[in-house]
Amino acid sequence: MTKTLTTGNHAIAQAAINAGCDGYFGYPITPQSEIGEFMSKKMQELERAYVCAESEIAAINMVLGACSTGAKAMTSSSSCAVALMQESLSYIAADELPVVLVSVMRAGPGLGYIYPSQGDYNQATIGGGNGDYKIIVLAPSTVQECIDLTYKSFYLAQKYRNPTILLADGLLAQMMEPVEFNEYPYPEISIEDWALTGAKNRDSRAIYSLGPQEDRLVERVETLFNKYKQIEENEVEFEEYQTDNADLIVTCFGSIARNVKSAINQCREKGLKVGMLRPITLYPFPTKKYQELAKTTKKFLTIEMNMGQMVRDVRLAVNGQVPVEFFGKSVGQWLSVEDIAAEIERLNS
Amino acid sequence: MIKTTEKSVFKLPKSLKAGMKFPFCAGCDHGVAIRLVAEVLDEMNLREKTIAVASIGCSVMLYDYLDTDCVEAPHGRALAAATGVKRTNKDKFVLTYQGDGDFASIGLAESLHAALRGEKVSAICINNTTYGMTGGQAGPTTIMGQITKTSPNGRNEEYYGYPIKIAEQVALCDGTAYSARCSLDSIANIKKTKEAIRKTFEVQLQGLGFGFVEILSTCPTNWHLTPQESHERVRNELFQVYPLGVYKEV
Ligand SMILES: Cc1ncc(C[n+]2csc(CCOP(=O)(O)OP(=O)(O)O)c2C)c(N)n1
Repeated sequence: MTKTLTTGNHAIAQAAINAGCDGYFGYPITPQSEIGEFMSKKMQELERAYVCAESEIAAINMVLGACSTGAKAMTSSSSCAVALMQESLSYIAADELPVVLVSVMRAGPGLGYIYPSQGDYNQATIGGGNGDYKIIVLAPSTVQECIDLTYKSFYLAQKYRNPTILLADGLLAQMMEPVEFNEYPYPEISIEDWALTGAKNRDSRAIYSLGPQEDRLVERVETLFNKYKQIEENEVEFEEYQTDNADLIVTCFGSIARNVKSAINQCREKGLKVGMLRPITLYPFPTKKYQELAKTTKKFLTIEMNMGQMVRDVRLAVNGQVPVEFFGKSVGQWLSVEDIAAEIERLNS
Repeated sequence: MIKTTEKSVFKLPKSLKAGMKFPFCAGCDHGVAIRLVAEVLDEMNLREKTIAVASIGCSVMLYDYLDTDCVEAPHGRALAAATGVKRTNKDKFVLTYQGDGDFASIGLAESLHAALRGEKVSAICINNTTYGMTGGQAGPTTIMGQITKTSPNGRNEEYYGYPIKIAEQVALCDGTAYSARCSLDSIANIKKTKEAIRKTFEVQLQGLGFGFVEILSTCPTNWHLTPQESHERVRNELFQVYPLGVYKEV
């Protein structure tokens, strides 16, 4: 298959189209505006739905409406604007709608800046919406993975009827890499037994989250959590790099894994026994894998382009079996291969 | 010998769920409005292709009354959700049913932008000059001087500013095909309201643009009036601030 040189943003947009996205709804924000720009052209060419929404609140609710009919629909946004969507993400999780949200992180808090950062790990995995709910979160670390995981986002969203976030950052979104646009590799999931398609030759259907009857609410949340258990059992994905016999396992997600790998290569050349574990699904988190590695390694080092967010999940998973250190900066440029290698050597000495 | 024949003179529209009961307070107009919507859906044969969008307010459980497919939108976002439904399902009939707080306060951006984009959907807005569901606080349509739970001395311009004229605002949007204000205070006005609802549905089916009807409605519980007095208030106080009529028809 031929390789194309493309940016993360365009890779995500084209992959969404290949996945059969029926509707894109969005509002601009750097560093992901090119997704909406690309979609404005391509979706109209294909006569699919495209709306320049008046805000991210409107955009996510347009996606809510579209997905309630079984359409494949998405929005894309960033940091402070994803914050605006939190109420609706909670509704969408409660309504069990197959929404895809591409969240391209910028550095925060507040307006922050468009530097690459991973400051929205908590926003994506814990979320700011109300109540008990969970969102599937996938984190690419290459432009090729932007494609593969966009496909997977649509698939998992449909399969579990659950909102799914593709969590990228400004670095991945803006840089170019050679990629292969393979075809959407997943089976289509039937929407027949739940989607709103008009009450013809069947009873009318309603999709809603309001639960004035206590037992209905309790039952519904339990149904959701049974589903989350399935997701946790079946969908964990991670990358392991040189973890065999590693005394130190560096763990990280997303684009910073690229620097981490280079640093590990440098350290290995110097004879240091160091490896890497990279969660690809941030929810479901690879808890079992950490527990397994904690039996053989002496230490974990979590590296993030933030002040320490995923490290809490790592510590919960490792549960005190071995120490878990943290090294990070809120903006990505300040975590060079040399910085990371130096930190690894410091912990080894 | 007396011959008796049975003739049905009153029945529920098919677009209302069999056996459903409106839970609204005595004298509240929500039930009348929803019934009218159901009658027009029946008469225009739309039930099977309808996807209704329920909003947050006293009418939130729309799906318990309407026998059509229905999705609930977060407070104020009904027209965004309706946009998503319609844009991905051009052959469906899409309808929102919202309170004035939902439509014109928290959801004003979503409402007016749907009208500006000329979304081919129909929106019905119940204006009872208060946030009914949360217990009768001052809202965007609360009229000057009106006492509510959060305007204990009556609405004044210093603290609250001025009420919004929804049907007029919607009529100003280029994407609007029909905008009217109606009332349910008399048989004659109920009939006119039904015709306005029909019109908002027709402009959608004809692909002409956004269809809108604002319905002046009662809230006896929060107005602290009897049902009769409530309709008198609609006539004596609201008609001056919110004149009935068709504000746009293309
Ligand atoms: C985001 C959000 N804010 C506030 C509320 C609380 N709330 C529920 S209904 C409502 C007001 C509804 O008023 P209106 O739209 O006029 O409809 P009515 O109840 O009068 O029919 C409010 C403020 C909510 N559910 N969600």
